[in-house]
Amino acid sequence: MEALIKPEFGLMFWTITCFVLLALLLSRTAWKPLMQAVEERERALKHDRNTAESARAEAEKIKVELEARLAELKAEIGRRMDEARLMAEKEQDVLIEEARKSAGVIVESARREIEAQKLEAARDLKNKVAELSVLAAERILLHQLDHRANTDLASRYLAEIEKERPELKLESR
Amino acid sequence: MDQVWSWVSLGPLKLPLSKHLLMMGIASLIMLIGFPLLIRSRSAALAPFRAMLEMTVLFLRDEIVIPNLGHKGAAYVGYFSTLFFFILILNLIGLVPYGATATGNLAVTGGLAFTSFALINFSGIKEQGLIGYISHLVPKGVPVWLYPLMFPIELMGMVIKTFALCIRLFANMIAGHIVILVFISFIFIFGSFGVSIGLGVAPVSVGLVLFTLLLELLVAFLQAYVFVTLTAIFTGAAMHPH
Repeated sequence: MEALIKPEFGLMFWTITCFVLLALLLSRTAWKPLMQAVEERERALKHDRNTAESARAEAEKIKVELEARLAELKAEIGRRMDEARLMAEKEQDVLIEEARKSAGVIVESARREIEAQKLEAARDLKNKVAELSVLAAERILLHQLDHRANTDLASRYLAEIEKERPELKLESR
Repeated sequence: MDQVWSWVSLGPLKLPLSKHLLMMGIASLIMLIGFPLLIRSRSAALAPFRAMLEMTVLFLRDEIVIPNLGHKGAAYVGYFSTLFFFILILNLIGLVPYGATATGNLAVTGGLAFTSFALINFSGIKEQGLIGYISHLVPKGVPVWLYPLMFPIELMGMVIKTFALCIRLFANMIAGHIVILVFISFIFIFGSFGVSIGLGVAPVSVGLVLFTLLLELLVAFLQAYVFVTLTAIFTGAAMHPH
């Protein structure tokens, strides 16, 4: 039992030698390349992260820009649409006005034409009626002309007239 | 218990060639040959082991060395990694059949604690200068008349801290072995009452031994971690006295 807790100084010396040599050698052969690899990877990671972050910032900037341009375009489109609508309305009004005017002109000329036609037709009709009536009267008169009866009649009329207006009596003159 | 095969004389020192020395040699060989090859290898089959090694070293750096030693601690990462893996491999070799637990020997843990002691003082002196280091041994705010009392206490404290490191590792590693030994002895103690009693006790004992072995596996990692952490804390305290 005593040997268990009694340190053997020779072994202690071995331990120290062994460990110190190990620490010196391993720091050259093992830990240095390991740490280098680790640091390189950490640096690469950091670099990647920085790159990604800057790329994201860039993308965000572009997005904001695009949104602004989109809004601008929308406003522009709205403005153009309004303008076009206004112009179309104006044009429509003008067209309707013109159409109405020309329609009025056409109606007016048509009416005038109708009037003229009507007048002409009336004149024609009057002439024709006059002619017809004259012809008819002529026929009637030719048919009814009876010399004796007419002479009687005329003499009777004349007597009557003489009676009514004695100053006109032919014999008295 | 160490098993000394022969002795070598080197000047005034009488050096043993023993089983624990052999175990340390095996651990050193594993680390000296295995680690550099593992780190430099690019084979996919070894990638998980490489990742394990790397994760452990990064854990030591980010969780133990840097928080305790500050940013100048990066230079000490190699030392702490070597310390951790040396203790861990020695602990684990002790669990392999025909292996011996070198960290269950007071001389070995004493040697490791001595290197820690040297590191603590070296880093403190390097960081603050010899005079600054000695004058900062006593914490600030202590009345001047207490200095003659405090200074020896702090000096002793420094030695005791590293001595505690040595005892802690030693006791933890040897305790598991003693418990296993006791459980196995039970079989023979009960066997001396009668063969059937001994055979009855054997399964229970073997089960408990297995359990203790698993516990020792945990303790092997835990004590390596504790040793490194405490060394880092003491080194950090020596470097930054406030």
